[in-house]
Amino acid sequence: MSDHRPSRLVRPETLTALGIIFLALAFLVPTTGLRPISALLPAAMLAGLILLSAILLIRDQRRASAGSKTAPLTQAPRRVIGAFALIAGYAVATDLAGFYPATAIAIPLVAWLFGYRSPAGLALATTIVVGSAWAIFDLGMSQDFPAGRLWQ
Amino acid sequence: MYSDLLNALPEVLGLSNFLAVIIGVIAGIVVGAMPGLSATMAISVLVPFTFGLEPLVALGLMAGIYNGAMYGGAIPAVLLRIPGTPAAVATTFDGYPMAQKGEGGYALQVAVVSSAVGGIASAFALMLLAPPLSKVTLLFGPSEVFWVAVFGLASIIFLLGGNPIKGLISACFGVFVSVIGSDPIFGTDRYTSGQLELLDGISIVILLVGLYALPPVIDLLETPLKTDGVNSSKLGTEPIWKTLPRMGRFWKTWLRSSFIGIWIGILPGAGGSMAAFMSYNEARRASRTPETWGEGEPEGVAASETANNADTASALIPALTLGIPGTAVAAVAAVMLGGLLVHGLQPGPMLFRENPDVVFGFMWQFLFGAILLILLGGSLATNSFARLLNLPRPLLGSVIIVLMLIGVYSIHGRMFDVYLMLGFGAIGWVMDKLKFPLPPVVLGLILGGFAEENLRLALRIGRGDWTVLFANTTSLVLVALTVAVVVGPMVKRRLAKRDLRTKET
Repeated sequence: MSDHRPSRLVRPETLTALGIIFLALAFLVPTTGLRPISALLPAAMLAGLILLSAILLIRDQRRASAGSKTAPLTQAPRRVIGAFALIAGYAVATDLAGFYPATAIAIPLVAWLFGYRSPAGLALATTIVVGSAWAIFDLGMSQDFPAGRLWQ
Repeated sequence: MYSDLLNALPEVLGLSNFLAVIIGVIAGIVVGAMPGLSATMAISVLVPFTFGLEPLVALGLMAGIYNGAMYGGAIPAVLLRIPGTPAAVATTFDGYPMAQKGEGGYALQVAVVSSAVGGIASAFALMLLAPPLSKVTLLFGPSEVFWVAVFGLASIIFLLGGNPIKGLISACFGVFVSVIGSDPIFGTDRYTSGQLELLDGISIVILLVGLYALPPVIDLLETPLKTDGVNSSKLGTEPIWKTLPRMGRFWKTWLRSSFIGIWIGILPGAGGSMAAFMSYNEARRASRTPETWGEGEPEGVAASETANNADTASALIPALTLGIPGTAVAAVAAVMLGGLLVHGLQPGPMLFRENPDVVFGFMWQFLFGAILLILLGGSLATNSFARLLNLPRPLLGSVIIVLMLIGVYSIHGRMFDVYLMLGFGAIGWVMDKLKFPLPPVVLGLILGGFAEENLRLALRIGRGDWTVLFANTTSLVLVALTVAVVVGPMVKRRLAKRDLRTKET
């Protein structure tokens, strides 16, 4: 029988603490080039982040060695990753293809993928949101939305 | 001292300002009624859209949303036993049993009237207490202002409860974000990586939308909540004017709960849910029939809803005068501070001197928002708002994503801000899941720059001598308060542990 216990190093809190320490150390490098008075507050904060994350890391590892199990960040990782990917994809699509085409696709796509499957409801919601954005922001407030780098 | 308060009234009664409060209250009830959405998220999404508006119109919307959402949370709490906001948990205890007995409509009416009573009491407390406190804080110099900022951060971190290490990490992160951009005195770049978009620093709006709006959207999509649907015909609703006389017997509870809510609201780190629980317990203790509580006692709904609305405006007493939000658990006060900053209004001692019309107008808007709750939430809307619970949540999530993008893009008209917001959103989601408190991040961003500026000013005045920070009594009092805030909870925990050990042996 194999032991399926996950590594102590992949506990969410441990990974987060390690990530903070790594990033804070990376930001400390440019801090050395600043004037002492300009570097005072950021250096103090970065040092604080490193110290506090180290404490967090040690505490979490102590809990791990005591046999404490940690809850996963999410019960539905595929849905969360999917949601983040769709949101990021929507932002990139807005940048590349323009706000209106990206929005007209994103609203029904996100809602459909996450369980709302009524074609009439999707069409109505998309029309209302895209139409309202155009009427309020474009027409009423002269707000320019991204036209899409691909078409420029 | 109070003449500025009266002078601000005519402008608040102007059409656009008054309309803003009405729209805000309705929007707040809608948002509060939907489990998973909160006033904090609604205000975060709203803030970028208010750039082009007059400050009072923008603040009116925020005040309305804050008031409305606190009542809106009672709708799913009563009908589905799902609190729309954390502050509505205690409302479920008796609200849901009432709905089961076919008295859901009456429970919602008790909730809306009690919410209005709490909101009105809270607005009066803000009007009465904030002006004199602001007079005192106007005497503060740079070193005192620096210590006020430190005290504010310390109180949010250590009085929030939870893990202080995580609170400190959140605050350090917020303060670090505040120093990104040009140095305020020498103009040198700090951590901009050559990005011109970062030279002016990171807009608080980007941080607010990322931290507070994105994680709930992910939650909406992660666990689509299936409700059985609410049939409004089963609510048993009578017109509110017919039920008002039956509520007269709650006057003692309204008074007690208002006092509890106001007090909790002023305390940094406490929050609406704590106010509601305390108030519920006290009302039950005072009741002649405590055995009926939990089985559909309307007074329980009254106690909970009065208190969770009574801490709304009172949370702004320390926020407006010192720049320290009171009810940090709800985080709305911290977000509202961000909303003030967006309109060039720095919360703190100078706000009352430089913008009396806006700050006092804002107080009136809180009062009118609370009064409007009865009219908007009570008589007509109870049944209509109950239907909101049937809205498909994936669709709601996708619409909010679009609103977030529009709002953040509109600030400077650049996609860079949208990507930055997504980055903060991812950080916010992880922080939320690992129970890192978010208010210290916002407060760190607000107070970080403020604290640095005043620290450097104080050191310049003192010609680089650090003892200038401890040179007067006010500074020493603030240092002592900060130490008390840091050490107090630790001592309390130690004593509690020792008591527990003594009991065990």
